[in-house]
Amino acid sequence: MEYFAPKSISEALSLLDRYGGEARVIAGGTDVMVDVKYKEEPGCLINIKAISGLAGIKESNGGVRIGALTTIREIETSALIREKLPVLWEAAHQFASLQIRNTATIGGNICRASPSGETLAPLLVLDAKANLVFSDKETAQPFTGFFSGPGETSLGVKGLLTAIDVPYPALASRSVYLKHAVRGAMDIAMVGVAVLVTPDAAKNNVQEVRIGLAAVAPTPIRASKTEALLRGKPLTPTLVKQAAEMAASESSPIDDQRSSAEYRRWIVEALTRRGLAQTWKAATGKEATS
Amino acid sequence: MAKAEFSVVGSSPGRIGGVERVVGKGVYGIDVMLKDQLHGGILRSQYAHARIVSIDTSEARALRGVHAVVTAADTPDVRYGRSYMDRYILARTKVRYMGDPVAAVAAETPAIVKQALKKIKIVYEPLPVVIDPEEAMKAEAPTLHEDMPLPKNLPEGAKVKNVCGFAAVHVGDPEKAMAEADIIVEEAYETKMIHPQYLEPRMTAAQVEPNGRITVWANAQAPFPVRQEVAKTLGVPLNNVRVISAELGGGFGGKGSGITSGAAIEPICALLAMKANRAVMIVLDKAEETISTTIRAGAKMYIKTGVKKDGTILARTGKVIYDAGAYSGFGTQAGSRCTNMLGGWYLMPNCHIDGYVVYTNKQVCGPVRGPGGPQAAFAVESHMDSIAAQLGMDPAEFRMKNMPKPGDKIVGVAKLRDVSLGETIRIAKEKIGWGKVKLEKNQGIGIATGSWIESAGPGGGAVVKVNEDGSATVHIGKIDMGTIPGFGIPMIVAEELGIPVSDVTVLNVDTDASPWDAGTVGSRGILVSGTASRLAAIDAREQIFKMAASQLEASPDDLEIKDKQIRVKGTPAKSVALATIATNAHNVIGEVIGRGYCDNLKLMAEEKAHGSSQPFTTHACVVEVDPDTGNVKILKYVAVHDIGFPIHRAAVEGQIEGAAAMSIGQALCEQVVFDKNGRTMNPSFVDYLMPTINMMPRIETTLVPGYPGAGPYGAKGAGEIACVPPLACIANAIYNATGVRVRRLPLSPENVLRALKEAGR
Amino acid sequence: MSVTVNTTINGKKITGRAEAATSLLEFLRDSLEMKGTKLCCNTGECGACTVIFNGKPINSCVTLAADAEGAEITTIEGLADGASLHAVQQAFIDTGAVQCGYCTPGYIMSVKVLLDRTTKPTAEDIDEAVSGNICRCTGYAKIVDAIHLAADRLAGRA
Repeated sequence: MEYFAPKSISEALSLLDRYGGEARVIAGGTDVMVDVKYKEEPGCLINIKAISGLAGIKESNGGVRIGALTTIREIETSALIREKLPVLWEAAHQFASLQIRNTATIGGNICRASPSGETLAPLLVLDAKANLVFSDKETAQPFTGFFSGPGETSLGVKGLLTAIDVPYPALASRSVYLKHAVRGAMDIAMVGVAVLVTPDAAKNNVQEVRIGLAAVAPTPIRASKTEALLRGKPLTPTLVKQAAEMAASESSPIDDQRSSAEYRRWIVEALTRRGLAQTWKAATGKEATS
Repeated sequence: MAKAEFSVVGSSPGRIGGVERVVGKGVYGIDVMLKDQLHGGILRSQYAHARIVSIDTSEARALRGVHAVVTAADTPDVRYGRSYMDRYILARTKVRYMGDPVAAVAAETPAIVKQALKKIKIVYEPLPVVIDPEEAMKAEAPTLHEDMPLPKNLPEGAKVKNVCGFAAVHVGDPEKAMAEADIIVEEAYETKMIHPQYLEPRMTAAQVEPNGRITVWANAQAPFPVRQEVAKTLGVPLNNVRVISAELGGGFGGKGSGITSGAAIEPICALLAMKANRAVMIVLDKAEETISTTIRAGAKMYIKTGVKKDGTILARTGKVIYDAGAYSGFGTQAGSRCTNMLGGWYLMPNCHIDGYVVYTNKQVCGPVRGPGGPQAAFAVESHMDSIAAQLGMDPAEFRMKNMPKPGDKIVGVAKLRDVSLGETIRIAKEKIGWGKVKLEKNQGIGIATGSWIESAGPGGGAVVKVNEDGSATVHIGKIDMGTIPGFGIPMIVAEELGIPVSDVTVLNVDTDASPWDAGTVGSRGILVSGTASRLAAIDAREQIFKMAASQLEASPDDLEIKDKQIRVKGTPAKSVALATIATNAHNVIGEVIGRGYCDNLKLMAEEKAHGSSQPFTTHACVVEVDPDTGNVKILKYVAVHDIGFPIHRAAVEGQIEGAAAMSIGQALCEQVVFDKNGRTMNPSFVDYLMPTINMMPRIETTLVPGYPGAGPYGAKGAGEIACVPPLACIANAIYNATGVRVRRLPLSPENVLRALKEAGR
Repeated sequence: MSVTVNTTINGKKITGRAEAATSLLEFLRDSLEMKGTKLCCNTGECGACTVIFNGKPINSCVTLAADAEGAEITTIEGLADGASLHAVQQAFIDTGAVQCGYCTPGYIMSVKVLLDRTTKPTAEDIDEAVSGNICRCTGYAKIVDAIHLAADRLAGRA
């Protein structure tokens, strides 16, 4: 196995051009190291941690730019993130273990593109964008189009994620990330539900709602039909129940060693219901469930 | 036997060996490093059931850096096992689970080992796979062991297949008594396979000495049986094999090589060392452990009990289907224990239970912490609550209604000497706030009891040598996995010799030098080695007193040792230093060497005459169930135990807390999951969920004094019993919280939610 | 392909060579023969391999040895001051939190970082600090006692 520690993005990109699918990019290593040990060793390992400028949390353009090499712990301990992007903070706070959070990067979590990736449903409901570079172009792509399958993203084999841009949600909005797992620590999410809701000025109707679902489809998804059902309407207990059921039907979970598809759908329903009630109450002071 | 005042037993001094562990010394098997050692690796079956058609190791052998490749062809046609000799160290004609060792390699680096294993070409003829033990018993099931006979004691006319053990309980006339019952409750319970998941992976290192003997370093719980197994399976004389025990990073019955047809790695490593003519070390990967090594078996238990309106139990019938796995392992013993325990530990005047131990294409049952007990107790203690509910009786009262008294018999125990069970229930109720604690919505309270008999069998000896300075070196056959060698044993010897605990050294087991021992299992540590060490220390003391008596012009009976001085009782001025006597011994008897043995036959005779002084326990808990997700949170947990006299109080509590936690893990999150082809789907800790600190309640331990056991100073074995009650304790609390009884483990969020939905909640 | 690693371990400058894919855990245990840091799950799921890396507890089994370049690492071997045990080490012995002891080094490293930050750890603090450290022997009860005892001693309350 070849090993490189490029010092610049262009160096990294030319390595990716050369090695293509033979290369694995390693950041924190908490996922990649396990693959290197237990799956086929890649033809080449590209350690990007020596590239400067890829870490850090900065306010920018009405939102936050987070460098791809920012660790999950840095996100968790950022007062700015906790205050301005609480749904992302909640994902960081429930991520694996402290040891893992100290090393794992948000870029790694994103590029791993596991359907259950902790930060992914929050990034979807925050309408965040991924900044991608290739040797011939740079793009900023919304996360809603970024994931194409388990482990597959718009990066292909030659792209590099450099940063994410997360716009601040509307001041009146409230959000929550609900992770369903067995132990409450260290677990991979069996189901992840992120909800962001913005009431109208009168706090009667749902002006905007975004629901992100993780671990219940080949990629993390937005429950767009459910969102359409809710937009513009007053959030009544009946509507919450309908929406929760619709979110469950928008998911397409599988049976696996962690749980059955049926159970996952039950949980999508339960957590969507809870997430809507919780965020609506936080945003309006009103109870949305009876 | 009991002393009024002790110098050291009963207290909690720092663990002998604690300093090494907190500063990171390499005391474990996995830390062994032999000169010029090669790395070893095992190739395991890719099929859960298949015939081996051919094995071609030529490409592997040709790889640079490979020093040995072995298969069954390199070994004599000798099988090993416990009740059934049904296993080869390397599969000969068939493989019976994915994880079955087929070949092994010794090479210069782990990477070369990995490559070489890939180059071994095995042609398999896959056979039908059977995962469920009840399916395996049917006539149409594939046969796993063509040449193993069915057990001789099967009931007349039993038409079964793949059965490697049978046990039965027959008491009174249950059919007649059942007809007189006012209420009959009939249920079925099921537990699943879990893995003991000791943190330190299993390893072996072996090298051939210049004189041709083989030295094996093992982190195994039973070094003497390992020696026997290596010699037997490789066809070498017993005295050509030396097993040196490392200290273990946990065992829990899962490192029981030598006492079960588990997945022995020691003979494989020794064989590689012989072929390579170099030292070889094998370290199993943790995921490899989950798929290949011995486990706690799953069991299906059918139980039917008839009671009178007033709660008196009249009769019980039942059936146990105990899933041994691909080889009999420890299945026969564990299945038998499970069958007996399904009769419960209350008054049971009429009882008939049949227990079948069944082969399936999965990992093999080992002597994992309380083998058979937690499974039976899940059924029995949940069932007791079910009956109480039907009677409209408080579950604790129902148990008290059927409480045995001293002199009574219960299933599996001819006579009880004293019975602490009722007392443990009383205290547990008090500690948990039974009938008092305010429960919120979705919260519930549960109680469950248990018992566990230290396992029968041959004992082990001890030798205590007193050195010139009065310090003592203790040789026992039990290993250190966090139990008695670091705690009780040095304290007992210190107590009897009147020296500080820090002056006592307990040696690691070396089969060349240590007294023979059956293995560090079965809650027998304090009973067997504790008794033996105490008797050895007393024997040493008597030799010392005999020599000191003439010097002090007193009779040996008038002497005592305290603070390293031998004194005439009542006349402290007349004394001589222990060191002086121990040194003088060189001219008198050579050396002070005390010898002791735990006389198993004597213990059995005493039990027959006076009754069994077995430990009892009650656990109680408060849980909260999330009605939307099925998640169960334990809010409070109490464990009340009679373990006789606690020699090292904190160590005994630690055993209780650890064992309870293991079963709490089995209840809430642990399970080995299979696909229909017999592949383990969750071998690594990513998906084999170990209980973490945040989900574990504070286990509040209470020790109940006043019921002395057969061990030294009245101690009882504490290593396993706390595994017994938690499964039912939690299930009973869930029932109390939701009105729904979950009869299948684990009590995972999915299983609980499914049960709630099926009940229309 | 191998890499050279220049790092500082327990205050001592070390230079070593390792294959590129070598983990920090393998580097410590095999190249440097420092056996105190333990190998267990090898996938970052148990915390037995926890070391302190630039002040933070990490799982050394999923960290590249190459990433130790320029870092300051503390392992269990670096905690005691000669024969004088660190308060956390002593507390683990004193409360009976050491049974088999295999999880102990990883635990002690995680707890040390916690108590450096606060000597009044709440239950949430403790869960955050060590829910990534598995113990199979103790059921965690005496480990919690050890954390509080060490905290009390470090704060002069005991």
